[in-house]
Amino acid sequence: MFARFFGLKRKAADFSAEIQAHIQLEEEHLREQGLSPEEAHNRAHRAFGNVTHAQERFYESHRWLWFDHLWQDFRYATRMLRKSPGFTAVAVLTLALGIGANTAIFTIMNGLMLCTLPVRDPGQLVELLHHQPGEPEPGYNGFPWFAYQIIRDGNHVFSELIVEGMNFFTVRGNELEPQTVFGGAVGGNFFQGLGVRPAAGRLIGPEDVHMDSHAPVAVVSWSFWKSRFDLDPGIIGKKIIINDDAPLTIIGVTQRGFYGLSDEAQQVIWWPVSLGPGGDGPFGLLARLKPGVSLEQARVEMAVVFQRAVNAPDAGPFVKGMQLRIEPAGDGVSTPLSQMLSTPLMVLMATVGLLLLLACANLAGLLLARGASRQHEMAVRVCLGAGRCRLLRQTLTESLLLSLVGGAVGIFLAYFADLALVRVFKSGRLIAAAPLHFEALTNPDAHVLLFTLAIALLTGVLCGAVPAIRASSAAPASALQQASRLGESRSRRLFGKSLVASQVALSLVLVSSAGLFVGYLSHLQNLNLGFERKNLLLATLDFAQSNYNAAQFSRLSQNLVMRLDGIPGVSSATFSGVSPMSGPGPKAFVFTEGHPEKRAQAFINYVAPDYFETYGTPFLAGRDFSARDQGGSTVAIINETAARDCFGNENPIGRRITLSHITWVKGERTYEVVGVVGDAKYSDLQQAAPPTIYPDLLQQGFTASELAIRTRINPDAVVRIVRRTEAAVFTGVPIVRIRTMNEQIDSTIVPQRLIAMLSAGFGALGTLLAAIGLYGLLAYTVARRTNEIGIRMALGATQGNLMRMVLQEALLLVCVGLAVGVPLAFCTRSVTASLIGNLPASIVEPIAVGAATIVASALIAAYLPARRAMRVDPMVALRHE
Amino acid sequence: MSTQSKNDEQERLKLLQGTLDLLILRTLILGSQHGQGIAHAIQQTSDEELLVEHGALYPALQRLEERGWISAKWGVSTNNRKARFYSLTSAGRKQLAAETTKWNRFAAAIGRILESEGS
Repeated sequence: MFARFFGLKRKAADFSAEIQAHIQLEEEHLREQGLSPEEAHNRAHRAFGNVTHAQERFYESHRWLWFDHLWQDFRYATRMLRKSPGFTAVAVLTLALGIGANTAIFTIMNGLMLCTLPVRDPGQLVELLHHQPGEPEPGYNGFPWFAYQIIRDGNHVFSELIVEGMNFFTVRGNELEPQTVFGGAVGGNFFQGLGVRPAAGRLIGPEDVHMDSHAPVAVVSWSFWKSRFDLDPGIIGKKIIINDDAPLTIIGVTQRGFYGLSDEAQQVIWWPVSLGPGGDGPFGLLARLKPGVSLEQARVEMAVVFQRAVNAPDAGPFVKGMQLRIEPAGDGVSTPLSQMLSTPLMVLMATVGLLLLLACANLAGLLLARGASRQHEMAVRVCLGAGRCRLLRQTLTESLLLSLVGGAVGIFLAYFADLALVRVFKSGRLIAAAPLHFEALTNPDAHVLLFTLAIALLTGVLCGAVPAIRASSAAPASALQQASRLGESRSRRLFGKSLVASQVALSLVLVSSAGLFVGYLSHLQNLNLGFERKNLLLATLDFAQSNYNAAQFSRLSQNLVMRLDGIPGVSSATFSGVSPMSGPGPKAFVFTEGHPEKRAQAFINYVAPDYFETYGTPFLAGRDFSARDQGGSTVAIINETAARDCFGNENPIGRRITLSHITWVKGERTYEVVGVVGDAKYSDLQQAAPPTIYPDLLQQGFTASELAIRTRINPDAVVRIVRRTEAAVFTGVPIVRIRTMNEQIDSTIVPQRLIAMLSAGFGALGTLLAAIGLYGLLAYTVARRTNEIGIRMALGATQGNLMRMVLQEALLLVCVGLAVGVPLAFCTRSVTASLIGNLPASIVEPIAVGAATIVASALIAAYLPARRAMRVDPMVALRHE
Repeated sequence: MSTQSKNDEQERLKLLQGTLDLLILRTLILGSQHGQGIAHAIQQTSDEELLVEHGALYPALQRLEERGWISAKWGVSTNNRKARFYSLTSAGRKQLAAETTKWNRFAAAIGRILESEGS
C-alpha cells in the first residue's frame, strides 16, 4: 500500500517470476503424485490457464487503462494525420475557421454581456432608466434631485437606492500625468450597498456625502493603484485633482477586480456625490431589490411612483408622458456599447453556429471518404482481434484530435478577428472618444477557453461519430472481399450525399441572410437624408481652454467662414451647435403663438448663416439668417415637419414660437420664424426626420463647436488647409475631431456594418466550404467509378455524356440542398427580422441571389471532377484494378 | 490424488463472484502462504468441491495486496523453491471478520429462502 503511494510499483517482471514459481511448484506437486514430468508440465499449465491473460490483467490493474489506450490512440492518430498532410491541413483549417468564428463572437459576448459584477447578490441589482414614448429603448439613466427624492422615499421594493454619476474625468496629481479616466460621483451607500470591500484604507460612506457639497475624499480602483502607484501603501492620504476642482484626498482602494458598474467602461476613481437640488445631478440610479420582490412587482410599483416625479412641480413640461424602465443590472449597467451590440451579437452568434455546423458536415464528409478508403485496413484489424469499441474510440480520437488542433488555431484566429471587430466598434459615435476598456473584449478568459474547448469537443464528436461507427462496424469478410472490388454500400453513399446537401442548405441560409444584411446596409448608405452627404467635411472645435466671449466668437466665426470660403475647392462653410448624425442634441417643447393648445416636441440646433446652403437642405419658404438679424428680434428657421406640427396649413413666416428648453429645466425663449426648410434626418438614419427648430446661432450669446465645410473636391484634400486656417483665426481652440459626413454616418450604423461585414464573410466561407464538400464527394465518386467510366466509354459514351453524368449528380445534390435550404432561409429571415427592426424582410432577392450563387459555385466545384471523368482513358481505366 | 473422483474439473463448482477474496483471506489466517499453496488449501479445505482457477488467483492477490489487506515478500518454500509468500495484515484481519459476518448472513438468508420454497 505504501509502496503504491511512494510510486514503488510492483514490476511486471516480478509478477511473471511469481507465476513461473507457481507453475514450477504445481509441476513438482503433480510429479510427487506420480505423473510423468511431461504430463505434470502440461497439467500445471492447463490448471493455471492463460498466463498471458493473467499478465495482462496484472498490467491493466496497475494503470489507468483508458489513459494508456488514449495515449496509444493519440499517437496513432497523430501518425495517421501526419501521413496525409493535405487532408489534415484542410480539416484543421475548416475547423479552425468554424471554431474561431464562434470563439471570436463569444469572446465579445462574454466580455460585454455575460460577465457578472463582482458584487454581493448581483442578481438583485436593477437599473432605473427613463424614456419618452417612441424614443429608442432602453432609455437614459439620469434623474434630477427631486425625482431621486421621490423614488427614494416613495418605494417599498428597493432595499437600497444607489446614486452614481458615471462620466469621463481628467485626473492629475503631484506625481500623475493628466489622464482621462472613467469615474463616478457616488452616494454614501454605493460601496456598502453593492458589497464592495476595500483593498486598502476605507471606502466612501454616508458620512462623506452632504447636501450640495461633499467631503474632499476619493477612492481609486485596485488596477489604478497598481498601474499608477505600483501598489504603494502610501497612496492613502495622497491628493489628486479631478477636472481642475479642489484637490481630493485618497482614502482607500477598492477590492481587486471591481471596475464599477460596467465591464467595458472600467471605472478607476470615485468620490462622494453632492446631493440636493444644486448637487451633481442628474443622478444615475441603481437599486437593490428587497429579498422576495420580483422584477415585475418593482416595475408595477415604480411606474406609479415615477408618475409622481413626472407630475412634480419642479418637473418641466418636457417630461410629460415620460416612462420608467427597470432593467436587471447584475451583469453591468447598460452602456452605449452593450446597447448597440447585444442584438447584433446574438444574430452573429447564431450565424457562426450555423457556420460551425456546416464545417462539421464538411469534415464529416471528408472523414467518411477517408474511412471508406480505410475499410480494408479496419477489416484486417477486426480480423486480428481488435475490439469494435477500441476501433470506434480510435477513429473518434482522430476526429477529436483534428477538432482540438482546429480549436487551438481557432483561438488565435479569434483573437485577431476580435481586434478587427473592436476597431469597427471604435468607429461608433459615443464610443470613439471614450477610453473604454476594450482589452476585456479581445482577451480570452477562462470562460472563453472553456467554451472553445467544449465546442471543439462537440465538433469532434459530431463530425467523427458517424464515420467512426461506420469504420468500426466493418464486417471483415465482406469488407475484405469488397476492398478488392469497387463500390460501397448504398447507405454509405446516401449519407455522404446528404452531408453535401445539408451543407448546401446551410450555406444558402448564410448567404441569403448575408444578402439581406448587405442589402439593408447599402439601403441605409443611400438613404435620402434631407442633406447632401457627399463632400462634406466636419470639424469639432474645443473652446474649453479659451476665453472667447459671444461677441468675439460671432466676429471670428464669420471671419473663419469667409476665409474658408476662399479656399479653392471649398464652396461654403458654416457653424452649428450640433452636426446631424452626431447624436441627439438638445430638445425642447414648442408653443405656437395663437395656438396655446398646441404643444409639440422638437429638436433644437443653433445654426449660423449659410448652414442650409452648406448642408444642401432646400428652403421651402422665407429666408436664411443674415448679418442684419444681429441686434434685432430673435429669429429661427423651422423644418417642414415642425411647420406642419405647429401651424398646420397656415403660413409660418413671421409667426412666433416659444421654446421651453431642455429636459427637466424651466426657461423659455420666443423666436420669430423667418424661414422654412426641407426635412433633414437629425440623429438616426432609420427614423423619420423629427420636427426641428434652427434658432440663429449668432444671436444666442454662446459659442458653437461644429464647423461644416462643403467642398467641390474630395474633402480629405482640404483637411490640412482647414486646420491651418482655423488655427490662424481661433488661437487656443484646437480642432479635436475632423471627419467626413460619410464617416459620421457610418459611425451611427456600426451594428449594421458589423453584421453586414461579418455575415458576408461567413456567407462566403460557407459557400466555399459547401463547394469544397461537393468537390470532394464528386472527385471521390469519379475516382471510385474510374472502372465503370472506362466501360461506359468503351461502350460508346461520349465525353459530353460523361460530363453531363457528373454535373447531373452535382445539380441533383444542390437541388435537394436548396429544397431544404429555401424554407430554412425564409424561416431565418423572419426570425432575424423580428430581432432587428427595419429589415426589409419581405423581399425575396437575397434568397434568390443566394441560391444562384450556390448553384454557380457548385457548377464550378463540379467542373473539375467532371473534366477528370471526361478525360478517363478507357484502356487505362479497364486495367485500373 | 489422481484417483479422486472429484478431480474432474468439469464437476467442480466455480467460485461465486467476489468470494475468492474472502477465501484467500480465510486461508491466510493460518499463516503465510504462497499462491499455489493458497489455491491448494482452498481446494482441499472445500473437499475439492471448489475450483480455484490458478490464473484468476494472482490478480486477486494483487488486488488484496494493493488494498493493504495482505502483504507479500519473496521467501523459500518447503521444497526449497523461491516463492512469493502472502500474509494477512491487521487491516486484512478486520476485513476478514467483516466479510465473514456478511457472508454468513448472506448464506443464511439464501438458505432460508431456498428452504421456504422447498417445503
